[in-house]
Amino acid sequence: MLQRLAIVVALFAFASAPAAAHGPSRQKVTETIEINAPVDKVWAVIGNFHDMSWHPAIAKTEGTGGNEPNAKRKLTLGSGGTMDEQLLKYNAENHSYSYEITEVDVKTLPVNNYSSTLSVSGEGDKSTVEWRGAFYRGYVNNDPPPELNDEAAVNAVTGVYKGGLEALKKKIEGGG
Amino acid sequence: MRSARSIAICTTLALFCVGADASRAAEALVTNQPADSLSVVDLATMKEVARIAIGGKPAGIALSPDKSRAYVTAPDGRELIEVDAGKREVLRRLKLGGGPLGIAAHPSKPEVYVADWYQHKIVVVDAAAMTAVGEIAVGQSPSGLAVTPDGALLLSADRDSNQVSFIDLATRKVVATVPTGARPFGITIDEAGKRAYTANVASDDITVIDIAQRSPLPGSVKVGRRPYALALTAGKAFVTDQYSGTVTVFDTATLAALKSIDACDHPEGIEETASGDVMVACWGDDVLLRIDGTSFKVTARAKVGSGPRAFGRFLR
Repeated sequence: MLQRLAIVVALFAFASAPAAAHGPSRQKVTETIEINAPVDKVWAVIGNFHDMSWHPAIAKTEGTGGNEPNAKRKLTLGSGGTMDEQLLKYNAENHSYSYEITEVDVKTLPVNNYSSTLSVSGEGDKSTVEWRGAFYRGYVNNDPPPELNDEAAVNAVTGVYKGGLEALKKKIEGGG
Repeated sequence: MRSARSIAICTTLALFCVGADASRAAEALVTNQPADSLSVVDLATMKEVARIAIGGKPAGIALSPDKSRAYVTAPDGRELIEVDAGKREVLRRLKLGGGPLGIAAHPSKPEVYVADWYQHKIVVVDAAAMTAVGEIAVGQSPSGLAVTPDGALLLSADRDSNQVSFIDLATRKVVATVPTGARPFGITIDEAGKRAYTANVASDDITVIDIAQRSPLPGSVKVGRRPYALALTAGKAFVTDQYSGTVTVFDTATLAALKSIDACDHPEGIEETASGDVMVACWGDDVLLRIDGTSFKVTARAKVGSGPRAFGRFLR
């Protein structure tokens, strides 16, 4: 009986491993883009948590919970990997939402404990979209391999943000 | 100007100045982790008055008993760094290895305790000699540390063991472990030394521990998403919720929630001032926020370096 309990405890510890320790310092990425369109028009494209079709790397968005906190979505990348994400805050008035990644393979995106805010602000026919990320590198201990270090994490997230924002600008300014 | 005036007051009231740092004003010392620096913010004007280069991605901070020295952990540099807060300069650096993060200072003698979050131990540092003089094995990934006001006990929030270790500082032995919510990170002890509070990042709640009983109070206090640290003032607790961007306030007598204050992007280090405000380091917005402890309103913002954490005691 005791032995069985010990096994259950060991399994539980293993199952909860992904939430364990992370890299020594949290990384920060902020990317912005100017778009020649009113805020409302831009928000109409990016403001639905369950539609990431504006991002060229995302092949499919599935989820539940609408635009309410704790809503969940699964993003499937064109390259095949997936990311499970959860909505933290949604503010239609300020044209902003925040979310976290609850599950991702470091081979898909080399990060841990990732949270992010996507927002749009502006005046008249000009808007600025800002995408902010906070995350730790893919490797949770000291001395990471190069593909899982701080630089790799920052580069990967920067690439996702830039690729998305440039495509968004093109889509909206191109009349799409 | 200010320091000249402080010295004049000290000369008149010499009795009260013994052992104090003559150049001291009310200040916040904020570790800017990605910026590799320490911002000094004047609390009267809420302006950054100095920025000290630190290196090593500084995160944790503790102050000497007279608050003239700051001890900063640098998890990337794997160092402990001693700063002369009045002169705004780095004095000494001690290479520790591992992952130094959480830190606390003894209330009356020159000794600091550094949690090594990769090697699951606490390093005891003689702050006068700036040398490591002991190690205490604790649970997995020790994070926040706090010492009881009488200097008898060191409490360690062992994040990945979901517990707090009680260490007797006379013998440097773990004398008890107390279960908490999931992944306790910050830990704060009240002024009377009766209770400790842990911010549990994975269960979004606060565990309240009766220190004499060495046991948690029943239940827990629900707060926002991913709580980081906690400050206590005038019978209220203020908790930084990293993912919610809020500061949750609850009554420490009834443990009832009073307010969720819209704060900033990733609020982290938090501490009460002598005048009943709380200061919050906003990692995402690069500001130090002042919140009125009574009205719960944000009353000032000071620009600091990129990625402020201020994990520990950072007001002097």
